[in-house]
Amino acid sequence: MTIPHSARIAALVVATTAFYGYVGQLVPQREVQPPQETLIRADLTTADMVKIGGELMVGKGLCLTCHTIGKSGALRFPDLAGVAARASTRIPGLSEIDYFAKSLYEPDSFIVPGFNPGMPVINKPPIGLTDPEILCVIAFLQTLGGTPTVTLQTSHAYYKAPGAPPAAPGGAPANATPTNATPAKGPVTP
Amino acid sequence: MNGVTNRKLLFVLGPVTGLVMFGAVVLIATFLTNREYKEPYRAPAAVVDPTPRAAGLADERAAAEAAARAKPYVEVEYRTFPVVGSRVAIWAVAQLHLLFAAFVLAVPIFAVLIEAIGYKTGDRRYDRLAHEFTKLLSVSFSLTATFGAALTFMLIILYPKFTNYMMSVFSPTFLPYVLLFFAEAFFLYTYYYGWGKFHPLVHLALGIGLNVVGTAIMFIANAWLTFMMSPNGISDGGALISTWDAIYNFTWMPINVHRVIANVAFGGSVAAAYAAFKFLHATTDEERAHYDWMGYIGNFVAIIAFLPLPFAGYWLAKEIYAYSQTLGLTMMGGAFSWLFIIQAVLIGNLFLGANYYLWLGMGRVEGARSVQRFIKYLLIAIAVCFMVWATPRSIIATVAEIRAMGGASHPILGFLGVMSAKNTAVNILILTTFMSFLLYRRTGKTATVAWAKTGHTAQLLIFASAAIFVIFLGVYGYFVEASVRIGLSVPQVSSVLFAMVAITAIDFFLYRRPKMSGEVRWGRMPAISQYVLIFIAVTFTWLMGLMGYVRSGLRQHWHVYGVIRDTSPDAFTPTLGFATQVVSVTVLAFFLLIGFVFWLASLHDLPDFKPRTGEKSS
Repeated sequence: MTIPHSARIAALVVATTAFYGYVGQLVPQREVQPPQETLIRADLTTADMVKIGGELMVGKGLCLTCHTIGKSGALRFPDLAGVAARASTRIPGLSEIDYFAKSLYEPDSFIVPGFNPGMPVINKPPIGLTDPEILCVIAFLQTLGGTPTVTLQTSHAYYKAPGAPPAAPGGAPANATPTNATPAKGPVTP
Repeated sequence: MNGVTNRKLLFVLGPVTGLVMFGAVVLIATFLTNREYKEPYRAPAAVVDPTPRAAGLADERAAAEAAARAKPYVEVEYRTFPVVGSRVAIWAVAQLHLLFAAFVLAVPIFAVLIEAIGYKTGDRRYDRLAHEFTKLLSVSFSLTATFGAALTFMLIILYPKFTNYMMSVFSPTFLPYVLLFFAEAFFLYTYYYGWGKFHPLVHLALGIGLNVVGTAIMFIANAWLTFMMSPNGISDGGALISTWDAIYNFTWMPINVHRVIANVAFGGSVAAAYAAFKFLHATTDEERAHYDWMGYIGNFVAIIAFLPLPFAGYWLAKEIYAYSQTLGLTMMGGAFSWLFIIQAVLIGNLFLGANYYLWLGMGRVEGARSVQRFIKYLLIAIAVCFMVWATPRSIIATVAEIRAMGGASHPILGFLGVMSAKNTAVNILILTTFMSFLLYRRTGKTATVAWAKTGHTAQLLIFASAAIFVIFLGVYGYFVEASVRIGLSVPQVSSVLFAMVAITAIDFFLYRRPKMSGEVRWGRMPAISQYVLIFIAVTFTWLMGLMGYVRSGLRQHWHVYGVIRDTSPDAFTPTLGFATQVVSVTVLAFFLLIGFVFWLASLHDLPDFKPRTGEKSS
C-alpha cells in the first residue's frame, strides 16, 4: 500500500514539531517566580542583615546574574570575592560603606578599570531594592573580605536612617539623594 | 444515499455549521462574562433570623440590589481565560497572528522582485511564478486580520489595565495603523486581482505600494512591542513625555530590520513548502518542472535572507545590552540561556537542510560530479560547527560528576560553550553554506574567461583568509578582557560579509559566458528533496515561535519592563519545556491553517464543477 503524500507531509510536520518539543524537554527546566518582597524588621541584627542581603543578591537584586564570587579569568563584570577589602581604597575619601552605596545608587559614576558600564541603578525599577534592602546587601558585601558593621541605623550619602545625626560617615551629607549627590571624578585606584 | 439527498445534505450543512459556530461564540462569551471576578453574595447575619421564607427572600433580593447599586466602579486589572489561562491564550493568538503577518509581508517583497525580473527579461515564467506566489496572499491576509482582531479583543478583555496604559502612550499611532490596513487591503487585492489587467509598470507600482504600506504597518506594530521591552519617552512614573521617543526606543530599529529579513526567510520557506506540496501532487512533467523551480526559488529566497539574519540578531542583542545589561544577561546568561541551545539545534538543522537540498539539486544538472566531490568537506565543516554551537557552557551532572570535572563546566568542552566559540561556529556555518550555493551555481558550467585560473585562486584565497581570520579572532577572544572580547564579533561578521560580497562579484564575471556541460533538468528531483523543503519550513516556523517567546518572555514579570509590573497569576516565567510545548502546538495550528490556504490556492487550478449525467445543473 502506498501512503499518500498528504499523509506523509502531515506526519513529517507532526514529527518535526514533536522532535523540537522533545529537545525543549531535554534542557534544564526552571520556573522563575517574580521576586518576593523581603520583610525587613526594625530589630534586625547585622547577622540577620547579612543573611537577607545574600538572599537579595541571588533573588530580587539579580546581582549574581552578572557578578561572580571567587571566579577569575576573562569576566564580564567584576568578581566580588574580597571586594570589602578593596572597597575603602577604590575612591579616595570614600569609606567602604559609601563606596558600596555609590556603586549601587550611582553605578556609572565609577567603573572598575577593564570593565564596561552596565550596572543598573539598584533602587529604581526594574530591580528597585528599597533603602533597607540595600543596607542588607551592603552588609553581605562587607562579609566578602571584611567584617560586617552595617545596621539598619547606618546612614550614608544616599540614605538617612530614621533618627540618625545629620552627617553620614565618609563625609558625604546624610540627606543627599541619588539625584543631588555629586559623582566622584577623582583619580581611581584599581 | 443518492446524489440528490447528498446535495440536500450539503445545502443544509452550510447554515447548520453557521448556526453551530454562532452558538459556540455565544457560549464562549457567556462563559467569559461569568468568569469575571465577583464577590459571592452572602446574606448578612441579621437577615438569617427565622423569618417567613418569602419575606426573607424579598429582603435578600432588596439587599443584593441595594448593594449592587451602591457598588463603585473599579477598573478590573485582569480577567482569566478558561482552561489554558490568559497568558497562553494571548501567546498562541499573537504567535499565529505574527506568523501569518510575516508571510503576508514577505511574499509581496519577493513576488514583486520576481515580477520585475520577468518584465525586464521578457520571460513569462517569472510572471507566472510571481502570480503563483501571490495566490497564497488573499486568504492569508484574511487570517492575519482575523487573528489581529482576536488578539486586540483578547488584550482588552484579559489585560484591560495594561491595554489602557498602552493606549495612553500610543493612541496617536492607532488611527494611522487602521488607515494603513485599509490601504494594504486596497493594494493587495488590486495587485492580485489586477494581474495581467494593467500595464506591467502600473502593476509593479501596485506591488511596490503594497510593500511600502505593509512595511509601515509592521514598523508601527513593532513600536508597541519594542516599547514593552525597552520603554522610552516616558517619565519615571510611566507618564508619556514624547510619543516619538516611545516609538523610537532602543530596540525598535533593530527589530524592524530583523523582522524584515526574518519575514523574507520565513515567507520564502513557506512558499517553497507550497511548491513542494504541489510538486508531490503533480501529475505531469511540466507541472513537476514548474514546481521544482518554484521550490528552488522559494528556498533560495529563504536561505539568502537567512544568511545575514545572525548579523541582524547581533545588532538587536547589542541594543538590548545597551538598554539594560540586566535584560541582556537575563537573555544570554540567566533564565533563557538554555533556550539558545535549542535555537542552535534548530539553526543547525536549517543549515543542514538547506545544504542538503542544494546538494540534491546538483543532480538536476549533467556534469555535476566535478562539484559534488566537495560535498563531504562541506558536510564535515557544517557538522563540526553544529556541534560547537550546540555545546552548552554548563551541563547537567551529578554531584560526583561535577566534582570530577571541577565545576559545572566540562574542562575541555566547556570552552566551546562561550560566545567566542559560538560566534566563530556560526560565521563558519554561514561561509560554508555560501560555498554550497556557489558550487550549486556553477554546477555544469566551466569558466571560459582568460583569467579563470587567477579568479578561482583569488576566490579561494579570500574564502580561506576570511575563515582563518574568523577562527583566529575566536581563539583570541579567550585571552582578552570582556570589554575587548565583545567587540571582536564585529570584525568577524565584517570579514564574512566582505568574503561573500567579494567572491560573488568575482563569480559574476567569471561565469558570465560559461561553457555548459548540460541543461538544468527542472523536475528531476527525488521526492525526498521536497520533504526537505517542508522540513525547512516547519523548522523556520518553530524557530520564529521560539525567538518570539524569548523576545517577549525576556521581560519576565513586567508587562512594560521596569514600568508596568505583571501582578497576574501568570507573572512567573515558565519552564522551557512548557514554552516549547506551546510553541509546538502553535506551529501545528499554523500548518493546519496554512494547509487550508494551500488547498484553497490549489482549487484555482481545478476544473469547474460539472453535474453528473441525470442531475440537473443549477
